[in-house]
Amino acid sequence: MSLVALSELLGAPVRGATGAVLGRVREIAIAPQDHPTRIAYLIVRTADGERVLPSAVLKSCGATVRTADDGSAWEKYSASDGVLLLKRDLLDQQIIDVHGRKVVRVNDVELDSTPVNSHVVLSVVAVDVGARGAIRRLTKGIVPSFTLRTLLARIPPRVIPWAYVDLLETDPARRVKLKIVYEGLSKLHPADIANIVEDLPHAEREAVFETLDEEVAAEALEELDPKVQVSIVESLDSDRAADIVGEMDPDAAADLLGELPEGRSGEILNEMEPAERQEVAQLLEFGEHTAAGRMTTEFVAVGDHGIVDDAIEALRQFEGSREAVATVYLYNVAFKIVGAVPLVKIAISPATTPLSQLAEPAVTCTADTPDDDVAALFDKYNLVTLAVLDEHERLAGIITADDVITMLRHRR
Amino acid sequence: MLSRLKHWRARLLLLLAVIGPGFITANVDNDAGGIFTYSQAGAQFGYSLLWTMIPITIALIVVQEMASRLGAVTGKGLSDLIREEFGFRLTFIVMVTLIVTNFGNVVAEFAGIASSLELFGLSRYVVVPVAAFVVWLLVVRGTYASIEKIFLTASAFYVTYIIAGLIAHPDWKAAAFATVTRPEAAGIRNYGYIYMVIALVGTTIAPWMQFYLQASIVEKGITARQYAASRWDVILGCIFTDVVAWFIIVACAATLYANGHHDIGSAADAAQALRPLAGEYAYLLFAAGLFNASLFAASILPISTAYAVCEGLGFESGLDKKFREAPVFYWLYTVIIVLGAAVLLVPGLPLVYVSVLSQVANGIVLPLVLVFMLMLTNDRELMGTYTNSRRFNAIAWTTVVVMVLLTLLMLVTHR
Repeated sequence: MSLVALSELLGAPVRGATGAVLGRVREIAIAPQDHPTRIAYLIVRTADGERVLPSAVLKSCGATVRTADDGSAWEKYSASDGVLLLKRDLLDQQIIDVHGRKVVRVNDVELDSTPVNSHVVLSVVAVDVGARGAIRRLTKGIVPSFTLRTLLARIPPRVIPWAYVDLLETDPARRVKLKIVYEGLSKLHPADIANIVEDLPHAEREAVFETLDEEVAAEALEELDPKVQVSIVESLDSDRAADIVGEMDPDAAADLLGELPEGRSGEILNEMEPAERQEVAQLLEFGEHTAAGRMTTEFVAVGDHGIVDDAIEALRQFEGSREAVATVYLYNVAFKIVGAVPLVKIAISPATTPLSQLAEPAVTCTADTPDDDVAALFDKYNLVTLAVLDEHERLAGIITADDVITMLRHRR
Repeated sequence: MLSRLKHWRARLLLLLAVIGPGFITANVDNDAGGIFTYSQAGAQFGYSLLWTMIPITIALIVVQEMASRLGAVTGKGLSDLIREEFGFRLTFIVMVTLIVTNFGNVVAEFAGIASSLELFGLSRYVVVPVAAFVVWLLVVRGTYASIEKIFLTASAFYVTYIIAGLIAHPDWKAAAFATVTRPEAAGIRNYGYIYMVIALVGTTIAPWMQFYLQASIVEKGITARQYAASRWDVILGCIFTDVVAWFIIVACAATLYANGHHDIGSAADAAQALRPLAGEYAYLLFAAGLFNASLFAASILPISTAYAVCEGLGFESGLDKKFREAPVFYWLYTVIIVLGAAVLLVPGLPLVYVSVLSQVANGIVLPLVLVFMLMLTNDRELMGTYTNSRRFNAIAWTTVVVMVLLTLLMLVTHR
C-alpha cells in the first residue's frame, strides 16, 4: 500500500495501456451507498469531454494515473447527487473532527492505493488539516515534486482518520443519499456538541439539528447560548422542533419557548405531547427571572412515612434529569413539604430506615423569588437543589445548581 | 395587553439586534487614516476633490451591502468563502495582501495615537508602547466588548467637524458646486491629485472593513430573513461616514487651504481646521477625537485581521481558545500590534505621510478584494435568490475598473 494525496492526483495525467495520455484527473468520487471509503470512479477531462474512469481498471495512482484499458469504454460523466466528490465536497471545506471535538478545514485528503490482483484499490484514509497539506497545495507546480516530497516529509503530519470525520451537508436529500448521520458527533458529550455547533454557519447548524437523534439534540440544545437556541429552533420544522423541545428539561424548554415569537412557540407547543405541553405551558406563565421561571417540574418526592426502599423505588421510576435526583423531598398528608433527604443518605442507609429519620429541614422559596435571592440561598446553604413552593406550601418544582450556574454566567 | 407589550418589545429588540454592525463599521471607518486623508485632501486641493464624495458613497453602499448580504445569506466570513470557492493558493495570496495592507493601517492608527498625544506634549516613545500594550490587553482580556460602547459614544466627536465646517464660513456655493461638478481634466496628469483620489477611495472603502463587516454580521447571527433591517443599517452608516468626510474636507478647505496652508505635516496642522469652532482649544478637541478614533480602530484591526487570516487558512482561531490551542492566531495578533507600534519608534517618521500612504495601499488592493466579492455575490449556488442585481454589478465592476486605471495612471504620472 502507498499513500497519495488528493492534490497530487488532481490534474495528474491519465495514461492508458499503450502509454498514451488520455486526459487529466478532474475529480474523484466515492459512492457511499456502495462503499463508505472506497473510490468508485475518477472523473477525467479528456479531449472528448468529461469521462468516468471506473476504479476497477486502475493500474497505479500517483503523479501519473495508469489504467488497464484505452479509455474508449468510459462513459460520459453526468452529475449525480448520490456521490461524494472529494474536490468539491471535501477539499477546503469545513468538517467535524469527532476525535478532536472541533470544526476544522480540510487542506488535503490522503488516499491509499493498494494493489489487489491486477488493479489497485483506491480508498480514503484520512484528511490532512495541517501544514503539510497546506504547503503541498501552495507549492504544487512551482517547486519540483522531488524537492517537495523531501521537504514535506520533514513536516509532522496533522491528519484526522476518515472514521473520525463527520461531513457537513446542508441539503437534507443529499444527506440521506450520502449516508451522513453524524454518528460520531452524536456520541460526544452534549456540551462538546454544543461547542462544535457554535463554530458552524447557520445552515450547517440546522443540518446537524435536523439529523441528530432527538434526545441528543435536546441535550446539546440546552447547552447552547440562548440566542443560538432560538435561531436554530426558528429554522426547524414545527414538528421536528416540538420533538426536540419535548425532550428538553421543562424549565429549559420553557425558557427557550419564552424567547421565541409568540406564534412560533404556540405552533411548537401544539405539536408537543399533551403531558409535556402542559408542564411547559405552566412554566411559561411565570416570569423568566423568578424562581418559577428557573425551576423544573420534574422532581422526586415521597410521603414522610416512607422508608429508604420507597425512595429508591421512586428514583427508579423517575424519568427527569440527573441533576434533579440529588434530593428526595418528603411531603405530609396535606402534601406540604416537611423535609429533604440528600441522595447520599439514601444510598448509604439500610433499606428499612424511615426517611423521616434521615430528613433535614428543606430549604425552600416561593414562585416569585427573584434570581438574586435564589442564588443567595444556594450560596448560603450550599445547596444542590432548592424547593419552590406554591401558595399551599406544596412543591411546585425545584431549581438545580446547574441552572443557577448558567443563570449567573449569562448575567456577566 | 401583556402580549401586545411583548410583541412590541420583541420588535424593538429585533431592530436593536440588527442595527449595529453597519453603523459600527462606518464609525471605525473614520479612523486616523481617514481623518488625515480627508484633512490633507481639503488642505491640499481645497474644494476640488469634493466631487469624489458622491461616487465614493454610492460605491461604499454597494460594497458594504454586498459584504453584509454575503454574511447574512451564507453565515460565513469573507475569507471562509474565498477559501471554499477559490482554493488554498488564491486564499493565501489574498491573506498575505490583507496582512500587508492591514499592517499599514495599524501603523496609521498608532500614528494617530502618537500624534494626538503629542499635542499634549507626550513623547511618542512612551505613548506608543503603552498604547500597544493596552490594545493588546483590552482584546485578549475580553474587556473590549464592554468598552465598545464608550468608543462608539466618543465617536460622536465627528459631529464637531460638521459644526466646525458650519462655523468656518466656507463658500457654500462653491463647495456645493464642487460636489456635483465634473472633475477637471487636468487632474489626470497630476500625480499628487491621483494619489489623493486613490487615498480617498481607499480610506472610505477599505478592504479590511469588508472582512470586518461580514464577520460582524455572521457573529450577530443575522440571517437572510432578518436581512432587510440590516440593509438600512448599512446604508445609513455609509451615508453618515461620508457626510462627516465631506465636512472634514470642507472644514480643512475653508481654514487651511484658504490661508495658503497646503500641506499638513502634523496633527497640530490638522487641528487648525477646528479653530473656528474651538479657538485655542481646537487642538484639544482634535486630539481627543483623533485619540479615540485611533484607539478604537487599533483595537479592532489587528484582531479582525487575525480572525480573517486564520479562518481562511484553516488555523484555530478565537479568544475563547487558549494560547496553546490557537498559537498562530495569537502570534499573528501580537506581532501585528508589536511591529505596528515599533514602526512608530523610527525617529523622524512623517506621521501624516505614512497614514495617507497606508490608505493609498488600501485603494490599490481594493479591486482585488472586490473581484472576489463580486464573483461570490453572483454565485447562484451560494446565494440562491440573493445574487447581485445588474445595477449593483455595474457599480461594483466600475469601481474595480476605475481603481485599476487610477493605480496605473498614478504609476505613469509618477516621476
